[in-house]
Amino acid sequence: MIEFKAVTKRYSNGAIGLQDASFTIQKGEFVFVVGPSGSGKSTLLKLILHEEVPTEGEVYVNGFSIHNMRRSEIPYLRRGLGVVFQDFRLLPNKTVYDNVAFAMQIVEAQPKEIRRQVPVALALVGLSKKAKVYPDQLSGGEQQRVSLARALVNNPSILLADEPTGNLDPAISREIMYLLDEINQRGTTVIVATHEKSIVDDMEKRVISLDYGRIVHDVQKGNYTNEA
Amino acid sequence: MMFKRGIIQMKLRTIKYMVREGFSNTYKNLLMTLASLTMVISSLLIFGVFLMVTVILSFNLRQMEKQIAEIVIWLEKDIAPLEADDIELRLKNDVRVLECNRITKEQAFAELNEALEDPSLLEGYTPEFLSESFRLRLKDVNQIAEFADEAADITGVEDIDFPKDFLERLALILKWINAGSMFILALLLIISVSIISNTIKLTVYARRKEIGIMKYIGANDWFIRWPFIIEGIIIGLVGSVISFVITSYLYNALESYVSSEAVVSGMSLIRMVPLKDIGGQILFVYIIIGVVMGVVGSIISVRKHLNV
Ligand SMILES: Nc1ncnc2c1ncn2[C@@H]1O[C@H](COP(=O)(O)OP(=O)(O)OP(=O)(O)O)[C@@H](O)[C@H]1O
Ligand SMILES: [Mg+2]
Repeated sequence: MIEFKAVTKRYSNGAIGLQDASFTIQKGEFVFVVGPSGSGKSTLLKLILHEEVPTEGEVYVNGFSIHNMRRSEIPYLRRGLGVVFQDFRLLPNKTVYDNVAFAMQIVEAQPKEIRRQVPVALALVGLSKKAKVYPDQLSGGEQQRVSLARALVNNPSILLADEPTGNLDPAISREIMYLLDEINQRGTTVIVATHEKSIVDDMEKRVISLDYGRIVHDVQKGNYTNEA
Repeated sequence: MMFKRGIIQMKLRTIKYMVREGFSNTYKNLLMTLASLTMVISSLLIFGVFLMVTVILSFNLRQMEKQIAEIVIWLEKDIAPLEADDIELRLKNDVRVLECNRITKEQAFAELNEALEDPSLLEGYTPEFLSESFRLRLKDVNQIAEFADEAADITGVEDIDFPKDFLERLALILKWINAGSMFILALLLIISVSIISNTIKLTVYARRKEIGIMKYIGANDWFIRWPFIIEGIIIGLVGSVISFVITSYLYNALESYVSSEAVVSGMSLIRMVPLKDIGGQILFVYIIIGVVMGVVGSIISVRKHLNV
Protein backbone atom coordinates (compact mmCIF):
# COMPACT_ATOMS: atom_id res chain seq x y z
CA MET A 1 0.00 0.00 0.00
CA ILE A 2 2.84 2.40 0.89
CA GLU A 3 6.41 1.50 0.14
CA PHE A 4 9.57 3.58 0.52
CA LYS A 5 12.68 2.10 -1.11
CA ALA A 6 15.96 3.72 -0.08
CA VAL A 7 14.40 7.17 -0.26
CA THR A 8 16.49 10.28 0.09
CA LYS A 9 15.01 13.74 -0.07
CA ARG A 10 17.44 16.58 -0.40
CA TYR A 11 15.93 20.08 -0.63
CA SER A 12 17.24 22.57 -3.14
CA ASN A 13 19.09 24.46 -0.41
CA GLY A 14 20.95 21.27 0.50
CA ALA A 15 18.94 20.46 3.64
CA ILE A 16 18.36 16.78 4.16
CA GLY A 17 14.70 15.94 4.60
CA LEU A 18 14.98 12.18 4.52
CA GLN A 19 18.01 9.91 4.19
CA ASP A 20 17.97 6.39 2.79
CA ALA A 21 14.59 5.53 4.29
CA SER A 22 12.99 2.17 3.54
CA PHE A 23 9.79 0.79 5.02
CA THR A 24 6.39 -0.53 4.05
CA ILE A 25 3.04 0.22 5.55
CA GLN A 26 0.28 -2.33 5.01
CA LYS A 27 -3.36 -1.62 4.53
CA GLY A 28 -5.12 -1.02 7.84
CA GLU A 29 -2.02 -0.16 9.87
CA PHE A 30 -1.79 2.66 12.38
CA VAL A 31 1.67 4.24 12.37
CA PHE A 32 3.17 7.03 14.44
CA VAL A 33 6.07 8.94 12.93
CA VAL A 34 8.12 10.58 15.67
CA GLY A 35 11.40 12.40 16.04
CA PRO A 36 12.85 15.74 17.02
CA SER A 37 12.00 18.90 15.16
CA GLY A 38 13.63 18.88 11.72
CA SER A 39 14.08 15.11 11.70
CA GLY A 40 12.00 14.67 8.56
CA LYS A 41 8.48 13.72 9.73
CA SER A 42 6.73 16.24 7.53
CA THR A 43 9.02 15.38 4.65
CA LEU A 44 7.95 11.74 4.91
CA LEU A 45 4.28 12.67 4.77
CA LYS A 46 4.84 15.17 1.96
CA LEU A 47 6.44 12.46 -0.14
CA ILE A 48 3.35 10.28 0.25
CA LEU A 49 1.20 13.22 -0.79
CA HIS A 50 3.43 14.14 -3.73
CA GLU A 51 3.94 17.58 -2.28
CA GLU A 52 7.61 16.73 -2.62
CA VAL A 53 9.29 14.15 -4.82
CA PRO A 54 12.19 11.94 -3.73
CA THR A 55 15.69 12.92 -4.81
CA GLU A 56 16.73 9.28 -4.77
CA GLY A 57 14.85 6.04 -4.29
CA GLU A 58 11.28 5.03 -4.97
CA VAL A 59 7.98 5.76 -3.29
CA TYR A 60 4.83 3.79 -4.05
CA VAL A 61 1.43 4.84 -2.75
CA ASN A 62 -1.76 2.99 -3.66
CA GLY A 63 -0.14 1.86 -6.89
CA PHE A 64 1.12 5.32 -7.86
CA SER A 65 4.85 5.82 -8.29
CA ILE A 66 5.53 9.12 -6.59
CA HIS A 67 9.05 9.32 -7.99
CA ASN A 68 7.78 9.11 -11.53
CA MET A 69 4.35 10.57 -11.93
CA ARG A 70 2.54 12.76 -14.40
CA ARG A 71 1.22 16.03 -13.06
CA SER A 72 -2.29 15.20 -14.18
CA GLU A 73 -2.26 12.06 -12.02
CA ILE A 74 -1.63 13.96 -8.80
CA PRO A 75 -5.29 14.80 -8.11
CA TYR A 76 -6.18 11.12 -8.44
CA LEU A 77 -3.46 10.08 -6.02
CA ARG A 78 -4.71 12.65 -3.54
CA ARG A 79 -8.31 11.60 -3.81
CA GLY A 80 -7.32 8.33 -2.20
CA LEU A 81 -5.65 10.15 0.67
CA GLY A 82 -7.16 12.11 3.51
CA VAL A 83 -4.97 14.81 5.01
CA VAL A 84 -5.09 16.59 8.33
CA PHE A 85 -2.73 19.43 9.22
CA GLN A 86 -1.60 21.05 12.40
CA ASP A 87 -3.27 24.31 11.38
CA PHE A 88 -6.56 22.64 10.29
CA ARG A 89 -6.68 24.47 6.92
CA LEU A 90 -10.41 24.98 6.79
CA LEU A 91 -11.99 27.40 4.35
CA PRO A 92 -13.02 30.36 6.51
CA ASN A 93 -15.87 31.52 4.29
CA LYS A 94 -17.62 28.17 4.21
CA THR A 95 -19.69 26.60 6.97
CA VAL A 96 -18.62 23.38 8.67
CA TYR A 97 -21.04 21.49 6.46
CA ASP A 98 -19.78 23.19 3.28
CA ASN A 99 -16.17 22.61 4.21
CA VAL A 100 -16.82 18.91 4.37
CA ALA A 101 -19.12 18.89 1.33
CA PHE A 102 -16.44 20.74 -0.62
CA ALA A 103 -14.16 17.71 -0.55
CA MET A 104 -16.92 15.75 -2.27
CA GLN A 105 -17.75 18.46 -4.80
CA ILE A 106 -14.16 18.41 -5.92
CA VAL A 107 -14.39 14.76 -6.82
CA GLU A 108 -17.71 15.46 -8.55
CA ALA A 109 -19.82 13.34 -6.24
CA GLN A 110 -23.59 13.18 -6.77
CA PRO A 111 -25.46 15.80 -4.72
CA LYS A 112 -27.53 12.98 -3.25
CA GLU A 113 -24.36 11.25 -2.19
CA ILE A 114 -23.04 14.48 -0.67
CA ARG A 115 -26.22 14.99 1.33
CA ARG A 116 -25.89 11.46 2.66
CA GLN A 117 -22.18 11.31 3.41
CA VAL A 118 -21.50 14.72 4.95
CA PRO A 119 -23.80 14.19 7.98
CA VAL A 120 -22.27 10.75 8.48
CA ALA A 121 -18.76 12.21 8.56
CA LEU A 122 -19.84 15.01 10.90
CA ALA A 123 -21.53 12.51 13.19
CA LEU A 124 -18.38 10.41 13.25
CA VAL A 125 -16.38 13.32 14.61
CA GLY A 126 -19.21 14.39 16.91
CA LEU A 127 -20.01 17.69 15.25
CA SER A 128 -23.49 17.12 13.88
CA LYS A 129 -24.82 20.08 15.83
CA LYS A 130 -22.26 22.51 14.46
CA ALA A 131 -22.95 21.94 10.77
CA LYS A 132 -24.12 25.49 10.06
CA VAL A 133 -21.37 27.22 12.01
CA TYR A 134 -18.31 28.90 10.46
CA PRO A 135 -14.82 27.64 11.40
CA ASP A 136 -13.81 30.75 13.34
CA GLN A 137 -16.71 30.14 15.71
CA LEU A 138 -15.22 26.78 16.73
CA SER A 139 -12.57 25.80 19.23
CA GLY A 140 -9.28 24.40 17.96
CA GLY A 141 -10.28 20.85 18.80
CA GLU A 142 -13.57 21.26 16.98
CA GLN A 143 -11.85 22.74 13.95
CA GLN A 144 -9.51 19.80 13.84
CA ARG A 145 -12.47 17.48 13.96
CA VAL A 146 -14.00 19.29 11.01
CA SER A 147 -10.81 18.82 9.06
CA LEU A 148 -10.90 15.15 10.05
CA ALA A 149 -14.45 14.87 8.79
CA ARG A 150 -13.35 16.49 5.54
CA ALA A 151 -10.42 14.10 5.24
CA LEU A 152 -12.69 11.13 5.77
CA VAL A 153 -15.78 12.00 3.80
CA ASN A 154 -14.48 10.51 0.56
CA ASN A 155 -13.52 7.29 2.31
CA PRO A 156 -9.81 7.54 1.63
CA SER A 157 -7.78 4.39 2.06
CA ILE A 158 -5.01 6.33 3.81
CA LEU A 159 -5.28 9.14 6.33
CA LEU A 160 -2.21 11.34 6.82
CA ALA A 161 -2.01 13.63 9.83
CA ASP A 162 0.90 16.01 10.37
CA GLU A 163 0.95 17.01 14.03
CA PRO A 164 -2.85 17.07 14.16
CA THR A 165 -2.73 17.95 17.83
CA GLY A 166 0.15 20.42 17.69
CA ASN A 167 -2.14 23.34 18.43
CA LEU A 168 -4.39 21.60 20.95
CA ASP A 169 -4.24 21.09 24.68
CA PRO A 170 -3.47 17.60 26.06
CA ALA A 171 -7.01 16.45 26.82
CA ILE A 172 -8.29 17.49 23.40
CA SER A 173 -5.21 15.96 21.78
CA ARG A 174 -6.04 12.65 23.35
CA GLU A 175 -9.60 12.84 22.03
CA ILE A 176 -8.37 13.50 18.51
CA MET A 177 -5.90 10.61 18.69
CA TYR A 178 -8.62 8.24 19.86
CA LEU A 179 -10.77 9.46 17.04
CA LEU A 180 -7.95 8.60 14.65
CA ASP A 181 -7.76 5.18 16.26
CA GLU A 182 -11.47 4.72 15.74
CA ILE A 183 -11.12 5.65 12.10
CA ASN A 184 -8.30 3.13 11.84
CA GLN A 185 -10.55 0.43 13.36
CA ARG A 186 -12.89 0.97 10.44
CA GLY A 187 -10.13 -0.07 8.06
CA THR A 188 -8.41 3.19 7.09
CA THR A 189 -4.62 3.19 7.16
CA VAL A 190 -3.59 6.03 9.49
CA ILE A 191 -0.17 7.70 9.61
CA VAL A 192 0.39 10.36 12.25
CA ALA A 193 3.44 12.54 12.69
CA THR A 194 3.51 13.79 16.24
CA HIS A 195 5.44 15.04 19.26
CA GLU A 196 2.89 13.69 21.77
CA LYS A 197 5.09 11.38 23.77
CA SER A 198 2.61 10.22 26.35
CA ILE A 199 -0.13 9.47 23.86
CA VAL A 200 2.24 7.54 21.63
CA ASP A 201 3.42 5.55 24.59
CA ASP A 202 -0.14 4.81 25.71
CA MET A 203 -1.51 3.73 22.36
CA GLU A 204 1.06 1.04 21.65
CA LYS A 205 1.04 1.37 17.88
CA ARG A 206 3.77 0.94 15.33
CA VAL A 207 6.30 3.76 15.74
CA ILE A 208 8.78 4.95 13.10
CA SER A 209 11.40 7.18 14.74
CA LEU A 210 13.42 9.62 12.68
CA ASP A 211 16.57 11.50 13.45
CA TYR A 212 18.38 13.72 10.98
CA GLY A 213 16.27 12.21 8.23
CA ARG A 214 17.21 8.62 9.03
CA ILE A 215 14.92 5.94 10.38
CA VAL A 216 16.47 5.06 13.70
CA HIS A 217 13.72 2.73 14.94
CA ASP A 218 10.72 1.05 13.36
CA VAL A 219 8.96 -0.92 16.07
CA GLN A 220 5.54 -2.59 16.25
CA LYS A 221 3.81 -1.66 19.52
CA GLY A 222 6.62 0.80 20.11
CA ASN A 223 6.89 3.86 22.23
CA TYR A 224 8.13 7.40 21.65
CA THR A 225 11.77 6.94 22.57
CA ASN A 226 12.15 3.21 21.97
CA GLU A 227 15.11 3.02 24.27
CA ALA A 228 13.93 -0.09 26.01
CA MET B 1 -25.64 4.58 -22.02
CA MET B 2 -26.32 5.12 -18.36
CA PHE B 3 -22.65 5.60 -17.80
CA LYS B 4 -22.38 8.27 -20.46
CA ARG B 5 -25.33 10.17 -19.09
CA GLY B 6 -23.72 10.04 -15.69
CA ILE B 7 -20.63 11.77 -16.96
CA ILE B 8 -22.60 14.52 -18.68
CA GLN B 9 -24.63 15.11 -15.53
CA MET B 10 -21.49 15.35 -13.47
CA LYS B 11 -19.97 17.87 -15.80
CA LEU B 12 -23.06 20.05 -15.79
CA ARG B 13 -23.15 19.92 -12.04
CA THR B 14 -19.53 20.91 -11.82
CA ILE B 15 -20.01 23.73 -14.31
CA LYS B 16 -22.88 25.01 -12.22
CA TYR B 17 -20.73 24.80 -9.14
CA MET B 18 -17.92 26.72 -10.82
CA VAL B 19 -20.16 29.48 -12.14
CA ARG B 20 -21.69 29.84 -8.69
CA GLU B 21 -18.23 29.95 -7.09
CA GLY B 22 -17.07 32.50 -9.66
CA PHE B 23 -19.98 34.81 -8.92
CA SER B 24 -19.83 34.40 -5.19
CA ASN B 25 -16.07 34.99 -5.14
CA THR B 26 -16.51 38.14 -7.20
CA TYR B 27 -18.99 39.34 -4.64
CA LYS B 28 -17.21 38.13 -1.53
CA ASN B 29 -13.91 39.71 -2.52
CA LEU B 30 -15.61 42.98 -3.30
CA LEU B 31 -12.59 45.13 -2.59
CA MET B 32 -10.37 43.13 -4.92
CA THR B 33 -13.12 43.02 -7.50
CA LEU B 34 -13.36 46.80 -7.40
CA ALA B 35 -9.60 47.12 -7.68
CA SER B 36 -9.50 44.86 -10.73
CA LEU B 37 -12.52 46.58 -12.19
CA THR B 38 -10.85 49.97 -11.84
CA MET B 39 -7.82 48.57 -13.62
CA VAL B 40 -9.90 47.15 -16.46
CA ILE B 41 -11.82 50.39 -16.85
CA SER B 42 -8.79 52.66 -16.82
CA SER B 43 -6.92 50.43 -19.26
CA LEU B 44 -9.90 50.32 -21.58
CA LEU B 45 -10.40 54.07 -21.40
CA ILE B 46 -6.79 54.79 -22.27
CA PHE B 47 -7.08 52.21 -24.98
CA GLY B 48 -10.40 53.66 -26.12
CA VAL B 49 -9.24 57.26 -26.26
CA PHE B 50 -6.29 56.20 -28.32
CA LEU B 51 -8.44 54.08 -30.58
CA MET B 52 -10.83 56.98 -31.04
CA VAL B 53 -8.06 59.40 -31.93
CA THR B 54 -6.77 56.94 -34.49
CA VAL B 55 -10.20 56.32 -35.95
CA ILE B 56 -11.04 60.00 -36.22
CA LEU B 57 -7.63 60.87 -37.60
CA SER B 58 -7.63 58.23 -40.29
CA PHE B 59 -11.28 58.91 -41.08
CA ASN B 60 -10.46 62.57 -41.67
CA LEU B 61 -7.40 61.77 -43.69
CA ARG B 62 -9.45 59.44 -45.84
CA GLN B 63 -12.08 62.12 -46.33
CA MET B 64 -9.34 64.47 -47.36
CA GLU B 65 -7.89 61.88 -49.66
CA LYS B 66 -11.26 61.44 -51.31
CA GLN B 67 -11.69 65.14 -51.84
CA ILE B 68 -8.29 65.59 -53.30
CA ALA B 69 -8.13 62.47 -55.36
CA GLU B 70 -9.46 63.94 -58.56
CA ILE B 71 -8.07 62.96 -61.92
CA VAL B 72 -8.26 65.45 -64.73
CA ILE B 73 -7.97 64.00 -68.21
CA TRP B 74 -7.12 66.60 -70.81
CA LEU B 75 -8.08 65.89 -74.39
CA GLU B 76 -6.15 67.01 -77.41
CA LYS B 77 -7.21 70.48 -78.43
CA ASP B 78 -8.32 69.59 -81.91
CA ILE B 79 -10.04 66.30 -81.13
CA ALA B 80 -13.16 65.45 -83.12
CA PRO B 81 -16.32 65.76 -81.03
CA LEU B 82 -17.32 62.18 -81.84
CA GLU B 83 -14.01 60.89 -80.62
CA ALA B 84 -14.45 62.83 -77.39
CA ASP B 85 -17.91 61.27 -76.95
CA ASP B 86 -16.32 57.84 -77.34
CA ILE B 87 -13.81 58.57 -74.63
CA GLU B 88 -16.53 59.86 -72.35
CA LEU B 89 -18.54 56.69 -72.84
CA ARG B 90 -15.54 54.56 -72.17
CA LEU B 91 -14.71 56.40 -68.96
CA LYS B 92 -18.26 56.39 -67.68
CA ASN B 93 -18.60 52.66 -68.26
CA ASP B 94 -15.43 51.81 -66.41
CA VAL B 95 -16.37 49.99 -63.22
CA ARG B 96 -13.66 51.74 -61.24
CA VAL B 97 -15.10 55.16 -61.92
CA LEU B 98 -17.32 56.72 -59.30
CA GLU B 99 -18.18 59.89 -61.14
CA CYS B 100 -17.07 61.51 -64.36
CA ASN B 101 -17.80 65.09 -65.41
CA ARG B 102 -17.15 66.40 -68.83
CA ILE B 103 -15.88 69.94 -68.89
CA THR B 104 -16.47 71.53 -72.24
CA LYS B 105 -14.29 74.28 -73.60
CA GLU B 106 -17.04 76.78 -72.81
CA GLN B 107 -17.32 75.61 -69.22
CA ALA B 108 -13.59 75.72 -68.82
CA PHE B 109 -13.52 79.23 -70.23
CA ALA B 110 -16.30 80.36 -67.88
CA GLU B 111 -14.50 78.86 -64.92
CA LEU B 112 -11.29 80.52 -65.88
CA ASN B 113 -13.08 83.75 -66.26
CA GLU B 114 -14.49 83.45 -62.80
CA ALA B 115 -11.21 82.42 -61.29
CA LEU B 116 -9.32 85.37 -62.65
CA GLU B 117 -9.52 88.60 -60.74
CA ASP B 118 -9.06 90.64 -63.81
CA PRO B 119 -11.37 89.33 -66.58
CA SER B 120 -9.80 91.74 -69.03
CA LEU B 121 -6.87 89.36 -69.23
CA LEU B 122 -9.02 87.02 -71.30
CA GLU B 123 -10.14 89.66 -73.73
CA GLY B 124 -9.60 88.62 -77.28
CA TYR B 125 -9.51 84.93 -76.44
CA THR B 126 -12.21 82.43 -77.28
CA PRO B 127 -12.93 79.10 -75.58
CA GLU B 128 -11.25 77.48 -78.55
CA PHE B 129 -7.83 78.10 -77.10
CA LEU B 130 -8.67 75.78 -74.19
CA SER B 131 -8.86 71.98 -74.15
CA GLU B 132 -11.79 69.88 -73.26
CA SER B 133 -11.38 67.71 -70.14
CA PHE B 134 -12.92 65.08 -67.87
CA ARG B 135 -12.85 65.26 -64.10
CA LEU B 136 -13.07 61.86 -62.48
CA ARG B 137 -13.31 60.30 -59.11
CA LEU B 138 -12.60 56.67 -58.50
CA LYS B 139 -14.35 54.32 -56.13
CA ASP B 140 -11.03 53.23 -54.72
CA VAL B 141 -8.46 55.97 -54.30
CA ASN B 142 -5.66 53.45 -54.33
CA GLN B 143 -6.26 52.60 -57.97
CA ILE B 144 -5.62 56.13 -59.09
CA ALA B 145 -2.06 55.75 -60.40
CA GLU B 146 -2.84 52.61 -62.32
CA PHE B 147 -5.95 54.20 -63.77
CA ALA B 148 -4.07 57.31 -64.80
CA ASP B 149 -1.48 55.23 -66.63
CA GLU B 150 -4.16 53.45 -68.59
CA ALA B 151 -6.01 56.65 -69.42
CA ALA B 152 -2.84 58.25 -70.74
CA ASP B 153 -2.69 55.59 -73.43
CA ILE B 154 -6.11 56.37 -74.83
CA THR B 155 -5.80 58.05 -78.21
CA GLY B 156 -7.01 61.58 -78.09
CA VAL B 157 -5.87 62.06 -74.53
CA GLU B 158 -3.29 64.76 -74.27
CA ASP B 159 -2.44 64.78 -70.62
CA ILE B 160 -3.41 63.44 -67.22
CA ASP B 161 -3.36 65.40 -64.04
CA PHE B 162 -3.75 64.15 -60.48
CA PRO B 163 -2.07 65.02 -57.17
CA LYS B 164 0.36 62.13 -57.34
CA ASP B 165 2.90 63.21 -54.75
CA PHE B 166 0.31 64.41 -52.37
CA LEU B 167 -1.67 61.20 -52.53
CA GLU B 168 1.41 59.08 -52.17
CA ARG B 169 2.47 61.01 -49.13
CA LEU B 170 -0.99 60.74 -47.64
CA ALA B 171 -1.06 57.00 -48.22
CA LEU B 172 2.28 56.71 -46.52
CA ILE B 173 1.07 58.73 -43.56
CA LEU B 174 -2.01 56.57 -43.30
CA LYS B 175 0.12 53.46 -43.42
CA TRP B 176 2.31 54.74 -40.61
CA ILE B 177 -0.65 55.79 -38.55
CA ASN B 178 -2.12 52.34 -38.94
CA ALA B 179 1.07 50.52 -38.13
CA GLY B 180 1.90 52.86 -35.27
CA SER B 181 -1.52 52.60 -33.74
CA MET B 182 -1.48 48.81 -34.03
CA PHE B 183 1.81 48.81 -32.22
CA ILE B 184 0.70 51.17 -29.50
CA LEU B 185 -2.61 49.39 -29.06
CA ALA B 186 -0.80 46.06 -28.70
CA LEU B 187 1.58 47.62 -26.22
CA LEU B 188 -1.30 49.07 -24.22
CA LEU B 189 -2.95 45.67 -24.25
CA ILE B 190 0.13 43.93 -22.90
CA ILE B 191 0.58 46.56 -20.21
CA SER B 192 -3.07 46.27 -19.26
CA VAL B 193 -2.94 42.51 -19.01
CA SER B 194 0.10 42.69 -16.80
CA ILE B 195 -1.45 45.33 -14.54
CA ILE B 196 -4.63 43.34 -14.28
CA SER B 197 -2.89 40.07 -13.67
CA ASN B 198 -1.00 41.79 -10.87
CA THR B 199 -4.23 42.96 -9.36
CA ILE B 200 -5.78 39.53 -9.70
CA LYS B 201 -2.58 38.09 -8.27
CA LEU B 202 -3.42 39.94 -5.10
CA THR B 203 -6.82 38.32 -4.93
CA VAL B 204 -5.29 34.96 -5.71
CA TYR B 205 -2.62 35.53 -3.11
CA ALA B 206 -5.31 36.27 -0.59
CA ARG B 207 -6.82 32.94 -1.52
CA ARG B 208 -3.68 30.86 -1.93
CA LYS B 209 -4.54 28.92 1.20
CA GLU B 210 -7.86 28.02 -0.34
CA ILE B 211 -6.11 26.92 -3.51
CA GLY B 212 -3.63 24.87 -1.50
CA ILE B 213 -6.44 23.17 0.37
CA MET B 214 -8.20 22.38 -2.88
CA LYS B 215 -5.01 20.85 -4.24
CA TYR B 216 -4.55 18.67 -1.15
CA ILE B 217 -8.07 17.41 -1.35
CA GLY B 218 -7.37 16.34 -4.92
CA ALA B 219 -8.94 19.06 -7.06
CA ASN B 220 -7.50 19.16 -10.55
CA ASP B 221 -6.10 22.36 -11.98
CA TRP B 222 -9.10 23.28 -14.08
CA PHE B 223 -11.42 22.83 -11.17
CA ILE B 224 -9.42 25.45 -9.32
CA ARG B 225 -8.83 27.69 -12.30
CA TRP B 226 -12.37 27.96 -13.60
CA PRO B 227 -13.92 29.97 -10.77
CA PHE B 228 -11.09 32.48 -11.14
CA ILE B 229 -11.56 32.59 -14.89
CA ILE B 230 -15.27 33.16 -14.46
CA GLU B 231 -14.43 35.92 -12.03
CA GLY B 232 -12.16 37.40 -14.70
CA ILE B 233 -14.92 37.17 -17.29
CA ILE B 234 -17.38 38.91 -15.00
CA ILE B 235 -14.94 41.69 -14.22
CA GLY B 236 -14.00 42.02 -17.90
CA LEU B 237 -17.64 42.21 -19.00
CA VAL B 238 -18.73 44.69 -16.36
CA GLY B 239 -15.59 46.74 -16.92
CA SER B 240 -16.06 46.90 -20.67
CA VAL B 241 -19.70 47.93 -20.42
CA ILE B 242 -18.88 50.68 -17.91
CA SER B 243 -15.98 51.82 -20.09
CA PHE B 244 -18.26 51.89 -23.10
CA VAL B 245 -20.79 54.06 -21.30
CA ILE B 246 -18.05 56.49 -20.26
CA THR B 247 -16.54 56.49 -23.75
CA SER B 248 -19.90 57.16 -25.42
CA TYR B 249 -20.53 60.00 -23.06
CA LEU B 250 -17.14 61.57 -23.77
CA TYR B 251 -17.50 60.98 -27.48
CA ASN B 252 -20.91 62.62 -27.63
CA ALA B 253 -19.59 65.57 -25.66
CA LEU B 254 -16.70 65.94 -28.08
CA GLU B 255 -18.99 65.57 -31.05
CA SER B 256 -21.36 68.29 -29.92
CA TYR B 257 -18.39 70.53 -29.12
CA VAL B 258 -16.99 70.00 -32.60
CA SER B 259 -20.31 70.70 -34.29
CA SER B 260 -20.93 73.82 -32.20
CA GLU B 261 -17.47 75.04 -33.18
CA ALA B 262 -18.42 74.37 -36.76
CA VAL B 263 -21.52 76.54 -36.38
CA VAL B 264 -19.48 79.38 -34.90
CA SER B 265 -16.64 79.27 -37.37
CA GLY B 266 -18.75 78.27 -40.32
CA MET B 267 -16.69 75.19 -41.03
CA SER B 268 -15.21 72.36 -39.08
CA LEU B 269 -11.65 71.24 -39.26
CA ILE B 270 -12.36 67.78 -38.01
CA ARG B 271 -15.25 65.63 -38.91
CA MET B 272 -16.41 63.08 -36.39
CA VAL B 273 -17.55 59.62 -37.26
CA PRO B 274 -21.08 59.37 -35.89
CA LEU B 275 -21.10 57.26 -32.73
CA LYS B 276 -23.90 55.10 -34.01
CA ASP B 277 -21.67 54.00 -36.87
CA ILE B 278 -18.83 52.80 -34.68
CA GLY B 279 -20.49 52.31 -31.29
CA GLY B 280 -21.22 48.64 -31.89
CA GLN B 281 -17.68 47.95 -32.96
CA ILE B 282 -16.24 49.80 -29.99
CA LEU B 283 -18.42 47.88 -27.57
CA PHE B 284 -17.43 44.65 -29.26
CA VAL B 285 -13.73 45.48 -29.09
CA TYR B 286 -14.08 46.53 -25.44
CA ILE B 287 -15.82 43.33 -24.49
CA ILE B 288 -13.28 41.18 -26.27
CA ILE B 289 -10.35 43.02 -24.72
CA GLY B 290 -11.96 43.22 -21.29
CA VAL B 291 -12.75 39.52 -21.23
CA VAL B 292 -9.35 38.56 -22.62
CA MET B 293 -7.68 40.73 -19.97
CA GLY B 294 -9.76 39.14 -17.24
CA VAL B 295 -9.22 35.58 -18.41
CA VAL B 296 -5.53 35.87 -19.23
CA GLY B 297 -4.96 37.80 -16.03
CA SER B 298 -6.66 35.06 -14.01
CA ILE B 299 -4.78 32.23 -15.67
CA ILE B 300 -1.43 33.95 -15.23
CA SER B 301 -2.03 34.73 -11.61
CA VAL B 302 -3.38 31.33 -10.59
CA ARG B 303 -0.60 29.46 -12.36
CA LYS B 304 2.06 29.92 -9.71
CA HIS B 305 -0.15 28.69 -6.92
CA LEU B 306 -1.19 25.53 -8.70
CA ASN B 307 2.26 24.01 -8.38
CA VAL B 308 1.88 22.30 -5.04
N1 LIG C 1 10.75 23.33 1.72
C1 LIG C 1 11.93 23.11 2.31
N2 LIG C 1 13.05 23.66 1.79
C2 LIG C 1 14.24 23.45 2.35
N3 LIG C 1 14.43 22.68 3.43
C3 LIG C 1 13.37 22.12 4.00
C4 LIG C 1 12.06 22.30 3.47
N4 LIG C 1 11.19 21.60 4.23
C5 LIG C 1 11.92 21.02 5.19
N5 LIG C 1 13.22 21.32 5.05
C6 LIG C 1 14.30 20.85 5.89
O1 LIG C 1 14.27 19.44 5.92
C7 LIG C 1 14.49 18.95 7.23
C8 LIG C 1 13.31 18.10 7.68
O2 LIG C 1 12.20 18.95 7.79
P1 LIG C 1 10.76 18.43 8.20
O3 LIG C 1 9.82 19.54 8.02
O4 LIG C 1 10.49 17.18 7.49
O5 LIG C 1 10.98 18.14 9.74
P2 LIG C 1 9.89 17.74 10.84
O6 LIG C 1 10.36 16.48 11.44
O7 LIG C 1 8.54 17.76 10.26
O8 LIG C 1 10.06 18.92 11.88
P3 LIG C 1 8.94 19.56 12.86
O9 LIG C 1 8.75 18.61 13.97
O10 LIG C 1 9.56 20.83 13.29
O11 LIG C 1 7.72 19.76 12.03
C9 LIG C 1 14.76 20.17 8.08
O12 LIG C 1 16.14 20.34 8.20
C10 LIG C 1 14.14 21.30 7.32
O13 LIG C 1 14.85 22.48 7.55
MG1 LIG D 1 6.82 18.91 10.55
